[in-house]
Amino acid sequence: MSRQANRGTESKKMSSELFTLTYGALVTQLCKDYENDEDVNKQLDKMGYNIGVRLIEDFLARSNVGKCHDFRETADVIAKVAFKMYLGITPSITNWSPAGDEFSLIMENNPLVDFVELPDSHSSLIYSNLLCGVLRGALEMVQMAVEAKFVQDALKGDGVTEIRMRFIRRIEDNLPVGEE
Amino acid sequence: MAVCVAVIAKENYPLYIRSVPTENELKFHYMVHTSLDVVDEKISAMGKALVDQRELYLGLLYPTEDYKKRYGYVTNSKVKFVMVVDSSNTALRDNEIRSMFRKLHNSYTDVMCNPFYNPGDRIQSSRAFDSMVTSMMIQVC
Repeated sequence: MSRQANRGTESKKMSSELFTLTYGALVTQLCKDYENDEDVNKQLDKMGYNIGVRLIEDFLARSNVGKCHDFRETADVIAKVAFKMYLGITPSITNWSPAGDEFSLIMENNPLVDFVELPDSHSSLIYSNLLCGVLRGALEMVQMAVEAKFVQDALKGDGVTEIRMRFIRRIEDNLPVGEE
Repeated sequence: MAVCVAVIAKENYPLYIRSVPTENELKFHYMVHTSLDVVDEKISAMGKALVDQRELYLGLLYPTEDYKKRYGYVTNSKVKFVMVVDSSNTALRDNEIRSMFRKLHNSYTDVMCNPFYNPGDRIQSSRAFDSMVTSMMIQVC
């Protein structure tokens, strides 16, 4: 199939406006379907998770990155390879916690929010919460339980958008009973 | 320079209207309202030519008393922009008006692209659009 054939390591071009508007339509539809913003946030996270668990396979197949040895390496790969590949931006990594299990992804501009202005009635909506879900889902598939959440959002008047990532634990593979 | 900026929907109801001396707001509403007829006239009179040149700017609609001039601009989707300009400062050239309209048009496009804005609603909660209009109004005033 043609779709299979041109699936290489080169990134494909698509209109960023179309992408932004599609995501906007998704979020506003969710806002109509659910009563309050918390439910919408939860739903976005869930959808992101489902995207993440699939996307990681695509990512591993196309990016040729090997196993990461520590969380710092993982952070680098997320920012420099994954975000570049799927969103076309490279967030910077800062604010490592002393123990090395927490860091922040700082996005100068977030392609998801190009035209968006949050109305006052949706002040607690986390518009780009899908991203957190994607990160969580993708990392879970490579045996890392993480927590991702927005701590700053340019939509809410902050200067930059910041996602805080926290490493929780390694997920050990449970071998099926009877196998050593 | 601009004392009143209005965005009018295809069906001729206002989407956005703002004027600088707020005490005379109604007067500006009348002004914009009357100029809509001129806009319609211009569109139908030079409709063909406009389409051919892809020209959206309608030029001076008509000058009136108290040194105020109105200018019109219409998009291909028949959304109209009307601007009342204080012509006591005569330095304003056609080109500047044109570029102001283009700025307004771009801003309007951004509002339309906001997923939280429903097409056809009044433009109320857009800070970006508001501040752009403000910047057009205080440039000279």
